[in-house]
Amino acid sequence: MSTCSECKSFFSREDEQGKGDCVLRVVDPRQAYYKTRPVNPDGDASGCESFQKK
Amino acid sequence: MSAEPAKNDVSFQEHEEKQEWWWIAEKRRSKRLDYLRKAVWKKGALGGNYAPGIKVDLDGPKLFTDMWRFWKFDPVMMRRAKSLAHVLDNIPIFITDHSQIMGYWGSAPHTISWRVDGASMVNEELYNEPGVMPEPEEESLRKVAEINDYWAGQTAVDKLARILDPEDAVKFLSGAIGWGAPTSAYGYSGKNYEYFLKGERGFEDIIADIEKNIEEAEEKCVGTPGPDILPIYDRIQNWDAMITVLEAAIRFAKRYARLARTLAENFETDEKRREELLRVAETCERVPAKAPRNLQESFQLDHFVQILSRFEASEGAWPARPDYYHGPFYEKDVLVDKTLTEEEATDLVGEFMIRVYEVGGFGPRWAREGMQGITGTWVWTIGGVKPDGSDACNALTTAFLRTSRLIRVSNPTFAFRWHPKVKDEVMRECFECIRHGLGYPSFRNDPILVANCMNWHGHPIEEARTWVHQACMSPCPTTKHGVQPFRMASATANCSKMVEYALHNGYDHVVGMQMGPLTGDARTFTDFEQLFEAWTRQMQWLLSLLVRTVNLGRYKDPEFYGRPFLSGITERAVESGLDAVSPVGERGNCWITAFTWVENVDSLAAVKKLVFDDKKYTMEQLINALESNWDGCEQMRLDFVNKAPKWGNDDDYVDDIMLRCLRTMAIHSRVMRCTSNNTWPAAPQNVSGNIHYSSVVGALPNGRRLGDALYDGGISPGPGLDKKGPTAVLKSCGKIDHVSDGRAFLLNQRLSPTQMAGEKGYQLWRAYMRTWADLGLDHIQFNMVSDKTLRAAQRDPEKYQEVIVRVAGYSAHFVDISRKTQDNIIQRTVHGL
Repeated sequence: MSTCSECKSFFSREDEQGKGDCVLRVVDPRQAYYKTRPVNPDGDASGCESFQKK
Repeated sequence: MSAEPAKNDVSFQEHEEKQEWWWIAEKRRSKRLDYLRKAVWKKGALGGNYAPGIKVDLDGPKLFTDMWRFWKFDPVMMRRAKSLAHVLDNIPIFITDHSQIMGYWGSAPHTISWRVDGASMVNEELYNEPGVMPEPEEESLRKVAEINDYWAGQTAVDKLARILDPEDAVKFLSGAIGWGAPTSAYGYSGKNYEYFLKGERGFEDIIADIEKNIEEAEEKCVGTPGPDILPIYDRIQNWDAMITVLEAAIRFAKRYARLARTLAENFETDEKRREELLRVAETCERVPAKAPRNLQESFQLDHFVQILSRFEASEGAWPARPDYYHGPFYEKDVLVDKTLTEEEATDLVGEFMIRVYEVGGFGPRWAREGMQGITGTWVWTIGGVKPDGSDACNALTTAFLRTSRLIRVSNPTFAFRWHPKVKDEVMRECFECIRHGLGYPSFRNDPILVANCMNWHGHPIEEARTWVHQACMSPCPTTKHGVQPFRMASATANCSKMVEYALHNGYDHVVGMQMGPLTGDARTFTDFEQLFEAWTRQMQWLLSLLVRTVNLGRYKDPEFYGRPFLSGITERAVESGLDAVSPVGERGNCWITAFTWVENVDSLAAVKKLVFDDKKYTMEQLINALESNWDGCEQMRLDFVNKAPKWGNDDDYVDDIMLRCLRTMAIHSRVMRCTSNNTWPAAPQNVSGNIHYSSVVGALPNGRRLGDALYDGGISPGPGLDKKGPTAVLKSCGKIDHVSDGRAFLLNQRLSPTQMAGEKGYQLWRAYMRTWADLGLDHIQFNMVSDKTLRAAQRDPEKYQEVIVRVAGYSAHFVDISRKTQDNIIQRTVHGL
């Protein structure tokens, strides 16, 4: 099973051990942006469409 | 990213001659502002529908509801604080390319937020809204259904509805006499800017103050038993809730800091942008935790506060005074320390407005129709005086005005507090904005409105001078005891019903229900005094019903809703441990928004003239004609339009009726009391209620038929009925005492762009404004877009996407408002000065 921490988009938090952020590039019809949401490093990423192995 | 130099001055001149100001703006603004302005997903409904691509945000509602269910044993303030903290910790956040100011009320730029705990009837509306469900739609609908099933019967309005007088509730919910909801879930929150936005404190300082208060309170709780200890237990829980949400706010900002730093260190290849992202990171690490040190931090603190407030409640207005509170940082950074160039500062000022323009929440159709093209009345106050009475205009005042012409957003707009000490250079900047067709700033007569604040609510002069627009029109101080934590929009009266009910014995033929009191069969009235007595009783009934509902909503709101974040930024709540919404310690600053007011005056004058004075028609004939919606009575209707005096022509016959109506209402405004035992003055204005209510108000003696647009302004004459020129309009309006006859009076005027061209145009306008000030009017706003341009925009909307007009208390892009509203604006008389 792939986990979030194995993904290129995963960034661990320096000040909060065991927590991380998923950072993704999005380009919509009007603008481009980076978005993030908190994820668990051990979270199951097997069904994630954005998963990219580090 | 600096402004691109003009490539072709001839083309600028051509655009100017054609008054195509939007093209000039696009060429003159920086690449950054151009990108950010075009990147905005417009949330204001087009006529009444959301634009394609706009989706309801379901992340926030899901996170909030999950945690609300989990913390079911907590008191409401703490429950909301913990649920809100969960949202702030987990909702997706984003940073748009080239942006420097962070924070959005949703999980992606194209989303509109949905307040799930305000009113079930609003929640149910979501099912009827085509196109706004995120894909996959079926899954989204399932989520919405789960959320709605949970909140059904548990929202703030549901709770209030159970204790409202049933008759009041049914009449209010008929939609005929008022709108809005009596809860702070959708209120217009005032902000205690004097407490948190003067560059003196951050949230960590407030938390330290609260912790000290808790410590002292806890000591009392283990002291001598007595009744004085008992309220302290609740207050400690409230303080804990404030700390919970303030700490979550700091973490929310630090999520942006972390993202910006991650992007700078891992993604960004452009050195300049990398530096910007690191500055963003530093800014969001600094504020709101600590006091700001520069313009970017000051803007960022303000914007975080506004966004965080909206995560707590769907605030329908945006009271602000940005030049006054951020001006010292602008002057320090740009003029003294020179750490920012003017161009860099313009980028920040422009983005500060653009970040507001993109904000939007889901609203029911009736609300969207009442505020076409926008999602709330974000009227920012600029200019004015300092508490000592000296001129408060600064370099940022003119920077905002200049920048607004570059970015041309319809929300926020400005309202300028004019006073006799305003310098000519500032007035010229204001005029340029109007000449460029923005429809703003509107002008407020500061000495009059300061006196008005003192007259109606007893605010001391130094506090009155801090006033900001709490919504479109009504002033509210930003001080500890002067600030009104929120105003419920449901004290909004559809005033045309006063005269309609007076003529139909309180019966509403449109909704088919006995609404007002039985004031007698108007067919039997033998003189004007009988009619006026009936009108007075209907007016008193209508206003009292709305005010009763709002007072109850306000009184119960800390129990039914709870505002931990708003409390945490409100000095008297931090000090007392009470919800900011509690009236304890508040002086009171209520008002009734009086929609569709002038129809009363023109209708009463028409009956007086044609029935009682000239005896051309009988009351029997008139009531029959009204009941048939003037059908088969066209000649009679035209007589009531053309042969009866109309407001706005300096005609004492009708102007005296206006004064009598206003003064009769003002007496009742002092009889009705708010939760702080203060007064309830009326503020005649319309937003775009003149269109929304056009299908709700029946035929009237001013010649109006059911379905016709109502008059557009609070004291604006009917379109085309002001036949004696602009000075006559001012003279009519000048007969009103703008200090004691009501809270504020909206006046729309249309001017000819051709006549206003060049220095001559400016001097003509200045002379007109001097008359306006001398006559003591409190408000005026201008549309200066030609009929030719507006009609071209109707024919070819794609080419005129950026044409802005002043609707009523707000501006909107012309192509975003309904055809009926567009026609109504074109019909307004264009005055030559």
